[in-house]
Amino acid sequence: MPFERILVAIDGSEASDRAFAKALELVEVTAARLTALAIEGPLPAYAATVGEVDEVKREKDQFFNALAARSREQAEKAGVELTVELRAGHAAEVISDFAAGGGFDLVVLGHRGHFLRDHLLGSTADRVAENAPCPVMIVR
Amino acid sequence: MSDIAIAALLAGTILVASTISVEVGLSVALIELLLGVIVGNAFHLDVPTWLAFLGSFAGIVLTFQAGAEVDVPQFRREWRASLSIGLVSFLAPFAVVATVCYYALDWNHRQAEIGGLALSTTSLAVVYAVLVETGLNRELVGKRLMSATFVTDIATVAGLTVLFVKPTVWAIPFVLVSVALIVGLPLASPWFFRRYGDRVIEPEIKLVFASLFLLMWLGSRANSQAALPAFILGLVMSGHYVRHRKEQERMRVVAFAFLTPFFFLKGGMSVSAGALWANLGILALLFVAKMVPKFGAVYPLARRYTAPHATFTTLLMSTGLTFGTITSLYGLNAGIIDRTQFSLLIAVVVLSAIVPTAIAQRFFQPHAEPREASGVRPVAPMSPSQTPVREGAGS
Repeated sequence: MPFERILVAIDGSEASDRAFAKALELVEVTAARLTALAIEGPLPAYAATVGEVDEVKREKDQFFNALAARSREQAEKAGVELTVELRAGHAAEVISDFAAGGGFDLVVLGHRGHFLRDHLLGSTADRVAENAPCPVMIVR
Repeated sequence: MSDIAIAALLAGTILVASTISVEVGLSVALIELLLGVIVGNAFHLDVPTWLAFLGSFAGIVLTFQAGAEVDVPQFRREWRASLSIGLVSFLAPFAVVATVCYYALDWNHRQAEIGGLALSTTSLAVVYAVLVETGLNRELVGKRLMSATFVTDIATVAGLTVLFVKPTVWAIPFVLVSVALIVGLPLASPWFFRRYGDRVIEPEIKLVFASLFLLMWLGSRANSQAALPAFILGLVMSGHYVRHRKEQERMRVVAFAFLTPFFFLKGGMSVSAGALWANLGILALLFVAKMVPKFGAVYPLARRYTAPHATFTTLLMSTGLTFGTITSLYGLNAGIIDRTQFSLLIAVVVLSAIVPTAIAQRFFQPHAEPREASGVRPVAPMSPSQTPVREGAGS
C-alpha cells in the first residue's frame, strides 16, 4: 500500500479546500487513514487588554469549530473516516512536528492560502517540504 | 494644526494601526503606541486638551476592564500560592527602581515613586495571551500565574491611588461614593440591566461610564486618583459580565473602537524620540532595574509554587504594558514627571512587554496537553449556516 496514514493541513482557505478534496480522493484510492490538522495561529502578541485576546480567541474558536464540522461533513459524504486535530502555533513548525510525531507517510497541503502570520501559504509549504519527515504533496 | 485636523490625523492613524495589527499579529495597543511616537515626533504635535481628556477617561475604562476581566473564582482557589509571588513581583522592582531613580538618576521622591510603580507592573494581558495560546491557562502553572499577576496589578493601582493622595475634605465623599458604587452597582445591575439593557442605546454602558466619570471627578477633587476604585468596581462586576458576555463584548467594542486608541496614541505622542536617543544608558539602567529584582524576588518563589516552570513564570511576571502606561501617563498629566522621564518609562514598559515574553516563548515555554478539534467548546452560539470562509490574513 503506497500510503497508510495521510495528514492534510486545513485552514479554511480555498487552497486548503483544494488540498482537502485531493486528500479525500487519495484516501479513496489508497484506503489510508486520514487526519486533518487545523492550526490556530498566534493570538495578538504583547496584548494590552485581556479583552483583545479574548475576542480574537473567541473568533478563532468559532472559526475552527465550524471548519472542523464542515470537514467532517465532507469526509462523511465521501465515505472517509476523518480525525480532526487542532493545534496552536506556527503552521510550518506544527505541521512538520505533527507529521513526525504521528508517523504519517504523506502530508498534503494547499498553496497560496493564508496561514495566519506567514501571510502566504507558499512559504509555509516550502518550509514543510523542507522539514517534514515524509513526502509532501502541495496542491495548487 | 487645528483640533479637527489633529482629530482627522489621529483617526487615520488609528485606522492604520488596526490594519497593521491584523496583518502582523501584534497587539493593536502596541501599534497605536508606536504610531503615536512617530506621529507626535514627525508632526511635532502637542497633546490637545480634548485628547488629554479622552485619554484620561480611557485609562480609567482600561483599569475598570482590567478588574472586570479577573477570574475571581480562580483567584479564590489559588490566592495562597499566588499572593507571595504577586506581592514580591510588585514590591521588589518598586523598591529597586524607586531607589535607582532617587539616588542614581537624581529624581525627586514623587518622580521616583512613579518610576517604581510604572516598572513594578506585570501585564495581565501579555501573560494571558501566552497562556491561552499554549493552553497553559487550563493548567496549575497558568492559573497560579494569572492569580499572581492580579495581585501585582492590584498592588500597583493601590499604590497609584494611595501614594499620591494629598487628603482634602473631598476625600470623604470620594471614599463614600467609591464604597457605595462598589457595593451598590453589582446589586443594582441585575435589575437595571433587565429593565434597560439589551438596547442599541446601551444604558448599561452609560451607567458604567457615569460611575467612572463620577469617580474621576471626586478623585481629582480629593487630590487622588480613581484607579483603585475603578479597578475594584470592575472586579465586583466581573461575575455579572461572566453571566452576560454580550454586555462585556459591547463594552469592549466601545472601548476598542473609540477610547483606548486615544489612550495609547496619547501615550505615544507624549514620548520624545530625541530624549530617548539622548538617554540610552538610562534606558538600559531602568530596564535592568526592573528585570533584576523581578528575577531575584520571583524566581525563588516560582521554584516553590510553579516548578518545574519557574523561569517561564519569572519571565512572564517581568512583563508590563497597560498599567505601566497608565501610571506613567498619570505622572506626566499630574506634572510629577517630565517628558524625558515619561519617555524613558514608556520605553522600558514597552521593552518589558516584548523582551521577557519573547525569551519565555522561545526558550522556556512548557507544553500543555493538545486538544482535539471535537473537544473545542464554542464560546458563543453559532448559526448552523455559518461556514468558515477565510478572507485573508485575518487571524
